[in-house]
Formats: sequence, C-alpha cells, structure tokens
Amino acid sequence: MSPQKVRLMRKCHFEEKIDDYLLEKLDEAEREAFQEHLFNCPSCFARTSDREEILHVIKTNPSLLTEPEGVPETRPFFRLRLWLASFKPREWALAGLTACVSLAVLALLLTRPSDSPVFLLEDDTAVRGNAVTLISPVIDVGGIPAYFEWRVVGENTLYDLTLSNHTVLWKTTTRENRVVLPSEIRAKMKAGESYSWQIKAFTAEGTLIAVSSRVRFTVARPD
Amino acid sequence: MKKPVDLDAMAAAYRPVIYFRIRKALGRDNPDCEDIANSVLMQAVEKVRKGEFRGDSTIGTFLYTITSRRIVDYIRWKQRVLQHAPEPSLPADPGKSYELQEREGRIAEAVKELKPRFKKILQLYYYQGLSREDVAAHLGISPKKVSEQAHYAVKLIKKSIKR
Repeated sequence: MSPQKVRLMRKCHFEEKIDDYLLEKLDEAEREAFQEHLFNCPSCFARTSDREEILHVIKTNPSLLTEPEGVPETRPFFRLRLWLASFKPREWALAGLTACVSLAVLALLLTRPSDSPVFLLEDDTAVRGNAVTLISPVIDVGGIPAYFEWRVVGENTLYDLTLSNHTVLWKTTTRENRVVLPSEIRAKMKAGESYSWQIKAFTAEGTLIAVSSRVRFTVARPD
Repeated sequence: MKKPVDLDAMAAAYRPVIYFRIRKALGRDNPDCEDIANSVLMQAVEKVRKGEFRGDSTIGTFLYTITSRRIVDYIRWKQRVLQHAPEPSLPADPGKSYELQEREGRIAEAVKELKPRFKKILQLYYYQGLSREDVAAHLGISPKKVSEQAHYAVKLIKKSIKR
C-alpha cells in the first residue's frame, strides 16, 4: 500500500472536534487551533463545511425534525435492541462483573448513612450531585403539552418544577414524577413560542439532591 | 530552494475556506463577506509577490493569519461606522443565490425523509445542542453511538442531496 493511501486512511484527530466547533463548545484556544487547521486540512474543511450547511438548515427549520402526531417515534423496543446489539462478548462479561461490583458497593452504601451533596442554590450556578433526567417534553411539540414527566430520583423525594419563557410562568411542587399542566397555565402558553423547564429534587428535609438541565421546547404552530 | 507559489491555484484552493472563516465570524447573511474574502486574497497575492511569504509556515497558516487580521480590522471599522450612523436593517437573506436556496431546499427535503430515530438524534444533539452524554442518557444508548448515529444521519443527508 502506498504511503499516500496509508496517510489518507489515518483519521485526522481534529475530525472529532468538528461538532464541538460548530456547536460553539470549544474554548478560545481550541477554536483558534481548529480554525487554523481548517486552512491546512482540506478533508476536515470539507466535512466541517458540509455539516455546517446541514446544521444551518436544521437550526432555521426546526419543524423538519418534528414528527406528525400519532406516528410512533421508533420501532418497538428499538432502543433496547440497539443498546443490546452494541455489546460484544467481552463487554457482556465486563457488564456482568460491573453489575456484581455495583451491587456490592450498593449494599455497602445502603448500610452506611449517606452525606448530602453540597449545592449552591443560585439558579444559574453549576451544582454537583445527581442529575434528574427529563422525559417529556424535551423536543419541540405539536401542541401545548398536557403534562411534564421526568425520571424518579428516589423515594420520598419532593420535586420543584419551574416552567419559564421570558419570565417564570409556573412553579409547582410534587411528590410524583409527572405533573399535569393546569388549564390556566395552558391558556397562557402560545403556539410558536419557546419555553424551558427544569426540575430540582429535594429530600423530605428540604436538602437539594439533584437538578435537571434546563430544557427548551417550542410549541409548533398549527398548520 | 523555496518552491514558487502558484497564485491562481492558491486563490482557487483557499477561497472556500477563507469565505467560510469570514462567514462564520461575521454571520452568514453579512453582505460584506464576499468583498472581505476578495480583499484577503488580494492582500495575500501582494504579500507573496513582494516576497513577504518566506515559507516559515504553511501557506494555509499564512492565509489564516491574514484572514483573521482582516476580520478584526473589519469589526473595528464597523464599530466606528456604527457609532456615527446606525446601519439600516438588512433585507432577508441578501445575496443568497438561487443555487444556495435550492441546495438548502434539498437538504431540508433530505432531513424530512430521515427515519424518526435519526431526526430525534439531530434534534437533541444538533438543534438543542445537548451533550453526547445527555442525549445518550435520554435515548438509552452509549455516547459513542450518539456520535455515530448523528454522523450517519449527516451521511444519509449528503447522500440524498447528491442524488
């Protein structure tokens, strides 16, 4: 094989940074290095340019990514099958071993009193501790959502939900991992507008134990 | 001995990346991008002719430096101009060529045709800008799969618009 072919087959390590560059996730030094690299690597430039064009279309036409209501998002058990298919025999063995170790650690932890993680309660401050995974809505929706749902953090947990657009639109506290949007709040929400929501989880004693990311969604205009 | 630079080949090869860099810094719809790209190439050609490109760096790095300086100069000039006379707002997509509009239309069609699972990945990863880990947690797949599937979706779009 010619040296040129070998060189072509070798993957440029800047390739992994294309998405981060386009999504503005690189720091200044990384961004400058990447931009300079684009002038020296036609392959990375072609990939970046193509992806930027697609990203522009997606960002300016988010409705392209919205499925019409009633169409199932994926085939049944698609995610489970996809996930299981990604496992190799060696990974199955590792997963089994990890599960055993995790169970042992869990058993150990359950027998010890846990320390509460430290949080700073400022709204825009990064906090450490567990994360709450939001289930719905996390993408643009065809109509005003009827409910908000997230993954359970633990037993006896209180959840604070905040729904905002430019200001806080609604705040509520619940013990469930799902809350129905009251009709008076639904009446305030408009098609075409963007909203964000966030969940904070507290213990029964009022200690903050987990926070979700602030997720934005847009209510699509009726056709 | 230093190889002479083929100026025409240089202009043809580097014009797209110069234009891309300028558009990324100043905005896609900035009508001055084309003029700035031309001025960068003219400046580069002049510098090469005067022997100011000594081959200490690659020609790419040489052009990157000129482009970055030209962008900074433009921003400073624009700030000075705007202090005295605010610029009227631009018409929608000025200078957007018919070909570009058509190409964007084809990309939009290709995105629309994607399977729901790819649309969802693009929605969370590219549109919402969530991290690979967040998207992975949401979809119950590994972060590596998120990148793989997003890039596969991009590949499908590219394949579809080439048809």
